[in-house]
Amino acid sequence: MMRFLKMLFTWWHHQTLSTLLHTRRRGKLMGVDGQGNCYYEDKHGASINGKTRRWVLYNGDIETTRISPEWHGWMHYTVDETPDQAAYVKRDWMKPGQINMTGTKDAHKPAGMADTTGYADGYDAWTPK
Amino acid sequence: MSETENNLVKVTVDGQAVEVAPGTTIMQACEEAGAEIPRFCYHERLSVAGNCRMCLVEVENAPKPVASCAMPVAPDMVVSTTSETVKTAREGVMEFLLINHPLDCPICDQGGECDLQDQALGFGGDASRFDDNKRAVENKNMGPLVKTIMTRCIHCTRCVRFAQEVAGVPEIGAIGRGEDTEITTYLEASLDSEMSGNVIDLCPVGALTSRPYAFTARPWELRKTETIDVMDALGSNIRVDMRGREAMRIMPRNHDDVNEEWLSDKSRFVWDGLNTQRLDRPFIRQNGKLTPASWDAAFDLVESKLKGKGAATAAIAGDLVCAEGQFALKGLMDALASPHVDCRQDGAKISGPRGNYIFNASIAGIEEADALLLIGSNPRLEAPVLNARIRKRYLMGDFPIVAIGEAVDLTYKAEFIGAGADTLADLLAGKQSFADTLKNAKNPMIIVGQGALTREDGAAVLAAAIELAAKTGASFNMLHTAAARVAGLDLGLVPGEGGHDVAGIQDAAQSGTIENVIFYGADEIAGASLGDAFVVYIGSHGDRGAHRADVILPAAAYTEKQATYVNTEGRAQMTEQAATPPGEAREDWKIFRALSARLDVTLPYDNLAALRAAMYEAVPHLAQLDDVIAADAPVAPPHDGLGAEAFTYAVNDFYFTNPIARASAIMADCAKAKNEPKNRGDSSEGTGTDG
Ligand code: SF4
Ligand code: FES
Repeated sequence: MMRFLKMLFTWWHHQTLSTLLHTRRRGKLMGVDGQGNCYYEDKHGASINGKTRRWVLYNGDIETTRISPEWHGWMHYTVDETPDQAAYVKRDWMKPGQINMTGTKDAHKPAGMADTTGYADGYDAWTPK
Repeated sequence: MSETENNLVKVTVDGQAVEVAPGTTIMQACEEAGAEIPRFCYHERLSVAGNCRMCLVEVENAPKPVASCAMPVAPDMVVSTTSETVKTAREGVMEFLLINHPLDCPICDQGGECDLQDQALGFGGDASRFDDNKRAVENKNMGPLVKTIMTRCIHCTRCVRFAQEVAGVPEIGAIGRGEDTEITTYLEASLDSEMSGNVIDLCPVGALTSRPYAFTARPWELRKTETIDVMDALGSNIRVDMRGREAMRIMPRNHDDVNEEWLSDKSRFVWDGLNTQRLDRPFIRQNGKLTPASWDAAFDLVESKLKGKGAATAAIAGDLVCAEGQFALKGLMDALASPHVDCRQDGAKISGPRGNYIFNASIAGIEEADALLLIGSNPRLEAPVLNARIRKRYLMGDFPIVAIGEAVDLTYKAEFIGAGADTLADLLAGKQSFADTLKNAKNPMIIVGQGALTREDGAAVLAAAIELAAKTGASFNMLHTAAARVAGLDLGLVPGEGGHDVAGIQDAAQSGTIENVIFYGADEIAGASLGDAFVVYIGSHGDRGAHRADVILPAAAYTEKQATYVNTEGRAQMTEQAATPPGEAREDWKIFRALSARLDVTLPYDNLAALRAAMYEAVPHLAQLDDVIAADAPVAPPHDGLGAEAFTYAVNDFYFTNPIARASAIMADCAKAKNEPKNRGDSSEGTGTDG
């Protein structure tokens, strides 16, 4: 029951119920990426701003940076071919996608930021001679 | 209706009528009416210069706009601050100011707190009409504290007036005329003042900025905490700006009765001392070497030495410690039944009621005085901001100042009538003509410095000064050098029945009758003088005390605790916590509380509120923050007669008076600059437009 309520009202753990229903009714599955995210297109060609509507159902947390690099172009209407159609090749110099770390302890800290200055913890401890 | 009310002048500002005293300037009248006037050169605490012209307003029937800061009101004046003429006039002035002002705000340290930047937003044009080359001015050498980028100067002369009027060192001036005007120090010598940092605050643009702070932070990324300074016994109100855990700078706050809006260089620039030489973990001495230890191990060692040895334990409190810590220390020593407690680590012979050891006339009271006698005190080094107050009174005129001690430059004219206690005896016997001057004055003052009290015959000097005050009707004032002292004396940190004072403790430690000594922030005592005693050091910085210690318990510095300090006039003020103590360091009182539990004499409080309640019960006036409570008349203490030696002053190395200042690299630079001969400085730094 709890799970059902969560599905109705919260969007950040999982798709909401209405998105699932919408997907059932109108979605055409275009492909699935390595993380299990499913990419859909409107099967009747309904459009937004003159472009066929596209969406993704995440396999897990709703976090836009989880969209795989190979699907990123298609999701953002940069290309019209899905990775499968375009015979996407992953070259060995391509790094795997990484989600946004802002706000976590792995966030990027450039040298010289406040807490990475010369002093450990902002002060210089005394050591006996 | 009183006389003055009858004399009020009626003026109309922007259609609103206000009544002001005659002699008020138009600017003040406008402020009364709530109209804000832009300005650069005007400053409440300096004389009026009227040379920036930013404060132009329109006065009915005047042929052209007038500078409101320099023009007194006339009856029935009609002033407009919002008319089209005023707007055009201000825009014109702004355009002229910006002609030669570099557009270097992105690399200017004043950015974000610059008067010119703010006012250009309101009155600046959107584009420049100036096609010629801008002028460039060579930078001047103003010493290690003040960085100059003179191309930015708008010639408001605030710095010149400050140096001349407040600091009393007429070493800055303007040379040249018109476009060639330059502000410079004579012979390019650095400013010989203990208050030079104030020109940084006064300069409305980025021409004079703080050299140690240069390019380290922007004002909007700093966390500001309003607190109290402890570098001298004045209790100046300050603001500490922090970024993360690091102190970035210290600025003065306004307190009319204490520091006005000035701050001494030591208080302002000591911040880097707060970031270095910190004690951040306990240490214990093992095989003659101090090694890091856990709190438990450190307490174990203290417990093994102190337990059952209460009467053979002594405690000395230092110069920067707070009232709460001293109260807890006193509580601990009482519980250990040890009378050997002293807060006068300099050995000053102070005793008697509260009137004997505070600045009874109050700091603001200096302005009402009409004759002054300084006894063994050099206020210029002991409390520079208080010295500026004396100078302020001196400039009002009719203020004879006489001093006993070595002749020094006090920034005002003082007559040195003798060097030692014999002159004081002469004064007391009426053999000196100044005794009559004191007697005939309405509000004479006597200021006694610590240098006169730390001698063998200190008690006799104190008694003589008090007797002289009583005889001439002068107020008796003691100028302390330590921020902790008055609170320590208030809380009774003096030897009890049969207890030793600081000198006695040292002797007893050498002879072995005192086995343990607790140094609470006491760093001015030579370690060797304690013989083989077991020394526990509780403090914030690794300095003399820590080097001598057998156990070090790390405590908080003055910016890291909410604590009470009592200044030399007896004004209790509370600091605010700007940062947490570093590493494993703890607030002072908590250390004493934990120690008391280990020694089975648990103190009866375990939080700050309970400690304060107990402290206020013992010394009620500590609860009356920011009030000066008048003390009973001073009483001459018993003594063994005056000696004859000359007085020495308490402060000689102005920049190294305490452990925090000694840890500061900026203070070391200042001391170095001071000792260097005044030769031509290095002005090869360019003109400021070099990025
Ligand atoms: S240096 Fe600053 S305070 Fe001095 S005259 Fe120039 S603008 Fe004014
Ligand atoms: S403020 Fe009036 S002329 Fe400068």
